[in-house]
Amino acid sequence: MFLDAVILVLQEVLEAALLLSVLLVVNQLLDQHFTSSHRVAMRWYGAALLTGTAGAALMAWAMPALSQWFDYVGPEIVNAFMQLLIVVCLYVHCLLLQSTLLQRRRRDLYAGLTLLVVIAFGVAREGSEILLYIDGIMGTPASLMPVLLGTGVATGIGVSAGVLLYYALVALPSLVALRTGMVLLVLFAGNMAAQVILLLTQANWLPYSPVLWDSSGLLTEFSVSGQLLYALVGYEATPSLAQVGGYIAAMLLIISTPLFRRCWRSIRS
Amino acid sequence: MTSIRRFLLAGVLAALTLFSFIAPLRGYRSSMAEVETLFDAHLLDASKLVANLDMARITRQSQLGDNLAFQVWEDGKLLAASSQAPSDHMAPLQQGFDFANFDGYRWRTYSWFDESTQRWIMAAERTDQRFALAENVVLETVLPILLGIPVTGLLIWLIVSQGLKPLTQLSSDLQKKPAHDLSELPLRATPKELVPVVNAVNGLIHRLGAALEREKRLSADAAHELRTPITALKIQLHNLAQEVDAGSESFRQLEQGVERMGHLVEQLMSLYRTSPEQFTADCTDIDLHALAQELVARMYPLFEARQQTLELLGKRCMMRGEPFALETLLANLLTNASKYTPLGGRVQVNVEAGDAVVVLKVQDNGAGISAEDKARIFERFYRVDRSSNAGPGCGLGLTIVQHVAALHQATVSVHASEFGSGAAFTVIFPALMET
Repeated sequence: MFLDAVILVLQEVLEAALLLSVLLVVNQLLDQHFTSSHRVAMRWYGAALLTGTAGAALMAWAMPALSQWFDYVGPEIVNAFMQLLIVVCLYVHCLLLQSTLLQRRRRDLYAGLTLLVVIAFGVAREGSEILLYIDGIMGTPASLMPVLLGTGVATGIGVSAGVLLYYALVALPSLVALRTGMVLLVLFAGNMAAQVILLLTQANWLPYSPVLWDSSGLLTEFSVSGQLLYALVGYEATPSLAQVGGYIAAMLLIISTPLFRRCWRSIRS
Repeated sequence: MTSIRRFLLAGVLAALTLFSFIAPLRGYRSSMAEVETLFDAHLLDASKLVANLDMARITRQSQLGDNLAFQVWEDGKLLAASSQAPSDHMAPLQQGFDFANFDGYRWRTYSWFDESTQRWIMAAERTDQRFALAENVVLETVLPILLGIPVTGLLIWLIVSQGLKPLTQLSSDLQKKPAHDLSELPLRATPKELVPVVNAVNGLIHRLGAALEREKRLSADAAHELRTPITALKIQLHNLAQEVDAGSESFRQLEQGVERMGHLVEQLMSLYRTSPEQFTADCTDIDLHALAQELVARMYPLFEARQQTLELLGKRCMMRGEPFALETLLANLLTNASKYTPLGGRVQVNVEAGDAVVVLKVQDNGAGISAEDKARIFERFYRVDRSSNAGPGCGLGLTIVQHVAALHQATVSVHASEFGSGAAFTVIFPALMET
């Protein structure tokens, strides 16, 4: 039970912690690098975490009703929709941070709102799964202690990895850190797009596609390194053709946008 | 990095947590396997124990603990069994360990054939209970690590705070250093990592002191050396007035030029005298109102010549200060007010006691000061050409005012006068505490 709890909670916490770290670094560095850019106020992060926690509790509470939607594939569809919204908001947020098209006040508001959606939806999605898992375990008191210990250990690992990633990025020369942060955000977006494909496939909204490779012999997803790679670059030991396609398509879509390319080029100066 | 303390605490704690938590995870599987081996050995021992039991006393309902099931077979007949055991063979008739499902659970079984009694002995333990027990044993080692993290965090916080103490102390020493104190920072008990910083700061203080000394000496020497020729020039000018037409434009301009030069030298001397290094222990208890009264009386002819009204309001206000410096401050404010107020204008001096402060206010009904000028009027040699009436000046008057105010821990501010037009200068001094 302990190991199961660690793997499940780590999968959820690690992804959220790493995303939060990268967003914090990118925000901070864009603020230093572009005079036109502006760091999103810390209150947005606080509000997003609070909203996300409340959203997680709400989602966990509503799960019985939710699971009956769309011919009993409600959770998959809702999760896929949330994930898609996170990808879109993440992309818009990054562009807004150094956009000169809007008035500063309006841009700050939109950047804050998109950040709120990214973090709050992410925390709500991942948090609700943890809450449902713990709730399910409550029925078997003997498993409670291993599960709580596993949750604690996984949370510790996830948060620590997030903190270390933050300081590692901050320690880099700012231009390198900014580019690394942007690459990671693009990879996050690709990972999330792949997850959307997986969820829609599970809900039978997309046809099953063949598995492209099986690297579980080299690195299983059920290890800490596998989880770390999953959270960072969306590593899957047995990805389907559609997932890999979605991953690459999302990344290409973002990279080919003129605004993104302009932002990338301007980091040199 | 916005805070060294936060960086050290978060960074060290995160690294420690990450590796302390990953280590038991890596050891979890091997520990579980080790505990399983121990349980297997225990199961084997239990099966030997069953073989040694007195079969006559064992019934179908016998129990050897909740977790242990057993069967004893002889010639295909069930000789004895525990209550949880099924009626048929709970494991294949094959020596060794295996798994089996009965009584609603999964069991780990061990079977062996006793040659001496020609009986098959089978013992079994529930896998879920074995797993839970094994996990508890392993988790007993994880729990202290998990609980230890907050304590470790607190310890790191205390250690980092202790480590940063010399830096905090250095910062506090630098902040507490008065503006005129250019003495070096002491090096005693400074950690070796901070010695280069203290040395660099001391070097900077030394260079600053030398630069200030050079500037002070240059100003003082120049002013002093210029005083004598200017006095001689004035005498010569007075003599010249007897010989040439003193009313001519050229003579008047020459006279004004010499006057301006004399004023500049006097102001430079005042600036030197009131610089922090010269502000010695000449401070005494002063009634600022009395000082103002004396100076207003002395300067009255200047205002009278310009047909200006000069008023003094207020009452006795005691404060601690250097009389000559305070006189210079007020004289400069009054000269400025008269200079920038038109003929027939009004200048008011007010000395009042506030809440633990003494407020000196000099206001006029002149042209006032633009917002742009307000930001710069205290700069050296900055002059405001507020009106064509402005007489001779060198742009040092308000710099001296600010210097004197700073020496007395006072603040100077400039704002609109209460007369509708004009400027008001307010100097707020700390009052003398009555004991």
